[in-house]
Amino acid sequence: MSYAYLFKYIIIGDTGVGKSCLLLQFTDKRFQPVHDLTIGVEFGARMITIDNKPIKLQIWDTAGQESFRSITRSYYRGAAGALLVYDITRRETFNHLASWLEDARQHANANMTIMLIGNKCDLSHRRAVSTEEGEQFARENGLIFMECSAKTAQNVEEAFISTAATIYKKIQEGVFDVSNESYGIKVGYGNIPGPQGGRDGGNTQGGGCCS
Amino acid sequence: MDLVSKYQGYVGRVFGNENSDSNEDSYVERLLDRISNGKLAEDRRTAMVELQSVVAENRGGQLAFGAMGFPVLLSVLREERDDVEMVRGALETLISALTPIDHSRGPKNEVQPALMNSDLLSREADSISLLLNLLAEDDFYVRYYTLQLLTALLTNSPTRLQEAILTIPNGIIRLMDMLLEREVIRNEALLLLTYLTREAEEIQKIVVFEGAFEKIFSIIKEEGGSDGGVVVQDCLELLNNLLRTNASNQVMLRETLGFDPLISILRLRGSAYKFTQQKTINLLSVLETIQLLIYGGQEADPSRHTNRLTNITALVKVLDQLLMLGVESQWAPVPVRCAALQCIGDLIAGHPQNRDLLATKLLGEEPNVESALNSILRIILRTSSVQEFIAADYVFKSFCEKNPDGQKLLASTLTPQPQSMTYAPYEDDVHMSFGSMLLHGLTMSESNGDLETCCRAASVLSHVLKDNLQCKEKVLRIELEAPVPTLGGSEPLMHRMVKYLALSSSMKSNDGKSSARNTYVEPVILKLLIVWLSGCPSAVQCFLDSRPHLTYLLELVSNPATTVCTRGLAAVLLGECIIYNTSTDSGKDAFSIADAISQKIGLTSYFLKFDEMQKSLLFTSAKPALSRKPLTRSTAASMAEIEDVDENEALDQKNDHPMLVSTFDLQFVNFVKQLEGDIRDKTVEIYSHPKSQVAVVPAELEQRNGEADADYIKRLKSFLERQCLEIQDLLSRNATLAEDVARTGGSGSSGHERRPSSGAERVQVETLRRDLYEASQRLEMLKTEKSQIESEAETLKNFAAKMEAELQSLSNAYNSLEQTNIQLEDEVKALRSGGSSGGGMSAKDIEALKAEAREEAQKESEAELSDLLVCLGQEQSKVERLSARLMELGEDVDKLLEDIGDDDDAGLGEDDEEDED
Ligand SMILES: Nc1nc2c(ncn2[C@@H]2O[C@H](COP(=O)(O)OP(=O)(O)OP(=O)(O)O)[C@@H](O)[C@H]2O)c(=O)[nH]1
Ligand SMILES: [Mg+2]
Repeated sequence: MSYAYLFKYIIIGDTGVGKSCLLLQFTDKRFQPVHDLTIGVEFGARMITIDNKPIKLQIWDTAGQESFRSITRSYYRGAAGALLVYDITRRETFNHLASWLEDARQHANANMTIMLIGNKCDLSHRRAVSTEEGEQFARENGLIFMECSAKTAQNVEEAFISTAATIYKKIQEGVFDVSNESYGIKVGYGNIPGPQGGRDGGNTQGGGCCS
Repeated sequence: MDLVSKYQGYVGRVFGNENSDSNEDSYVERLLDRISNGKLAEDRRTAMVELQSVVAENRGGQLAFGAMGFPVLLSVLREERDDVEMVRGALETLISALTPIDHSRGPKNEVQPALMNSDLLSREADSISLLLNLLAEDDFYVRYYTLQLLTALLTNSPTRLQEAILTIPNGIIRLMDMLLEREVIRNEALLLLTYLTREAEEIQKIVVFEGAFEKIFSIIKEEGGSDGGVVVQDCLELLNNLLRTNASNQVMLRETLGFDPLISILRLRGSAYKFTQQKTINLLSVLETIQLLIYGGQEADPSRHTNRLTNITALVKVLDQLLMLGVESQWAPVPVRCAALQCIGDLIAGHPQNRDLLATKLLGEEPNVESALNSILRIILRTSSVQEFIAADYVFKSFCEKNPDGQKLLASTLTPQPQSMTYAPYEDDVHMSFGSMLLHGLTMSESNGDLETCCRAASVLSHVLKDNLQCKEKVLRIELEAPVPTLGGSEPLMHRMVKYLALSSSMKSNDGKSSARNTYVEPVILKLLIVWLSGCPSAVQCFLDSRPHLTYLLELVSNPATTVCTRGLAAVLLGECIIYNTSTDSGKDAFSIADAISQKIGLTSYFLKFDEMQKSLLFTSAKPALSRKPLTRSTAASMAEIEDVDENEALDQKNDHPMLVSTFDLQFVNFVKQLEGDIRDKTVEIYSHPKSQVAVVPAELEQRNGEADADYIKRLKSFLERQCLEIQDLLSRNATLAEDVARTGGSGSSGHERRPSSGAERVQVETLRRDLYEASQRLEMLKTEKSQIESEAETLKNFAAKMEAELQSLSNAYNSLEQTNIQLEDEVKALRSGGSSGGGMSAKDIEALKAEAREEAQKESEAELSDLLVCLGQEQSKVERLSARLMELGEDVDKLLEDIGDDDDAGLGEDDEEDED
């Protein structure tokens, strides 16, 4: 259960865009064809490897329905990464991106890495938002961008992993004070903190028992 | 000023205008005026101090403040942040306004100003977010008072605050940040969070998202683990709130930190013999955590089951700590030991790997190593605490459930013991096998006359035997030597158990009134026997091998001095003697048992025992397993102190003895219900089938090849006789049943004793009455049928007589024919000798004639015989149907039943007469 770093993610976006499906595909490699409305927030976790380092991802999948907005906002500040998802077959979910982004900028910490995801790309025949539009929105707002499918698993791993890679790079560059856990990053037990130029405390939180 | 006058009006309306109140009103009003309108900073501060003290000391002050003060003070908090002293003062005043002054004074239903004020404050627009904002202030006291104020708000109106806090982004995050603060603030924040997370799933999740688990465990560690103070308790309470009904949080804990931090809290350090009350509470709280994880989340949550299994598998690492606390540690207080044992039971219930692991655990140090199961058995036999017995017994219950191999393992050491071993004193039993220890316990009372140990051992034995035929058979073979060698030979263990059962009943009746103990000894031993006999004919055989057993059991079923449950269980045991009976010996077969029940008890009142038992509280409130209340600051102390149930409390009519509650767990209750159904079915079946010896097989009624007529007739005759006997048998059984019906009906009508106490019951009585009416009509029909049958029997008998007479006359005719024949032959001879050769009949002709006559006679008699037999067969089946129907009849109407009684008497009279024929 030991890891070099632990990153907290949130998944946000309109209801029905496939947030829970993305998480399930990532953690369990399964697809769920029926829409189980998420109530509040659900939790998932998985270990990945970046730069040969084990990294634990803790992922909170939030409810997209408007009525849960006030609850889900509480999760922004403590997250290191966010997957902002829209549905390429439903234009309105793309149009709402600006308001989601505004929420994130307002409540999250400034260093949060945001990945824009155009989901359901398996349904290309019903496409309502072009890849270029997605790319452009991402570029204008400084986001990473990817189209994927929770159904076919296309790009799902990549989306989660490249978000982690970006965060990892930021750590290496010393952007974060990793001893401050409120950025959604935790240094694992027994890890020699990576960044050379970083000004982190680099202690292991007094957790004597290495496993 | 506007504001103040507005609120003044409000106060007048709400609280009335008593003089004392209006004095305080005007005083508070003046102070508020000085605070909001005063020009001199110093004067405003003094006013605040005065206001605080009047609100802190005086109900009237609190009321007056509530009516007018909130807007004024909130505006101080909002607009005068720079004046730290004013802000502190305002916060202190608000805290005082929300703190109850003295509960004991004044009438109960009086308005509680503190509660009112909480409500008013939480309704003030944005008050909560204003307070949360104050948590970011630099001044220590401002943050501290703010936390206290929030806690007070939360205690008084929890849901409102929980809802409000969710709508404020970063609200909970602010509170979580307080956990990293200086100790005083941290502890206050901890307390606040425990209130905030009670039954609020979304808040629980956010708190966990914010890293609550890490923070909780690191505080616990800092505070010294289970040796720490009340802060550790608060941490654990918060932890339990986060996990209790929240599978998602359980997954989060398991997947990130794992359960190791829990193990390290359970690990006893340093002075393992010192258990302060605080330490006890801390340990109980962690044990509760373990239990919550084993339970797996909310009852209705579909993911609970998988989550539960994964948790249990991961929690197996805790087993050693649990054994330490529950079994090995001599100094752990009883509640801790109980909780640990219960966790062990939960951990192995339905989990084969964990079960097998427990079976391999060894405790103690060389040379006194023994298996953990043996140590737990010793607790069962020896503890002075009923609670501890129950918890330890639960371990065996869980271990044996659906675990035939485990049962076999335990039973393998149950072997007959030499006298010296069985009755040896208790000491130094570390080297005893499980079986010897158990047998020793079962027969303890021989040496000290106390059935308590026997009863506990019986409970364990019933787990070992449950659903395991092999073990049942094995234990059946155990013979015990007589306690006093001179008194005859050995007896089976089972008989010894029945003896103890009888002993406990007699002890009770000697006592006059029963003590708490005696309420459970009988049921526990009865449960053992019921489990033993279930599905095991040889056990039934063994039980019935001793004649007095049946008699004793029959008495116990109708013994008014014992409890509903004892009677019910005795009835169940009796029923098992019917349904699992494969014996053919008369007197011991299912028939005889059923007859004995019907004669000695009456079927209706026999089955009533089942109903009564199932209506008892024990049955209706049976739970699957032991359950505990959540530990909170207010309940913890009392839970930690309970050393044992009070005997008096146990005798309290409302609460059954905990021992009984654990005996009658849901499984056993369901098992008994199912048995009851089987018993009813089997009884009906028995009463509707004739004995095999009188079954009519048409082929057998034919004359066999080469059978002489006389033999044939003899055979038929004896067959008739047997049928006649059987008819009589059936009739007398019939009469018993009718009597039974009559008696129940009678008690129903003469029974104003029954007093329909509720409308529902009266309705029920009405329906019963209607049923009775129907039944009586059916009975009427049956009666006519019966008299028909009887008259048929009469006719048949006449037939038989007539036939005999005809046979007689036939043989007479034959004789005379023969006579004539001889004469004729003589004549022929005479004629021949006379030389005449012509005329007259030849001898051949005569022979032919004779044969013809004989044949005719035979045919006739045969036809009549078979007619008779057919009639008898018909009658037989009528009697069958009649008895079945009588079985079905429930109760009866008085009037009708008296009639029946008379008729039956008459019927019986007739029978008697027939017998004399
Ligand atoms: N074809 C296709 N369907 C998908 C894909 N992802 C999700 N869906 C479907 O879209 C529906 C909604 O998916 P969810 O993951 O439950 O949506 P959500 O974003 O979690 O919705 P909320 O929980 O209400 O916020 C489901 O019926 C999925 O089967 C995908 O990649 N391709
Ligand atoms: Mg969802």
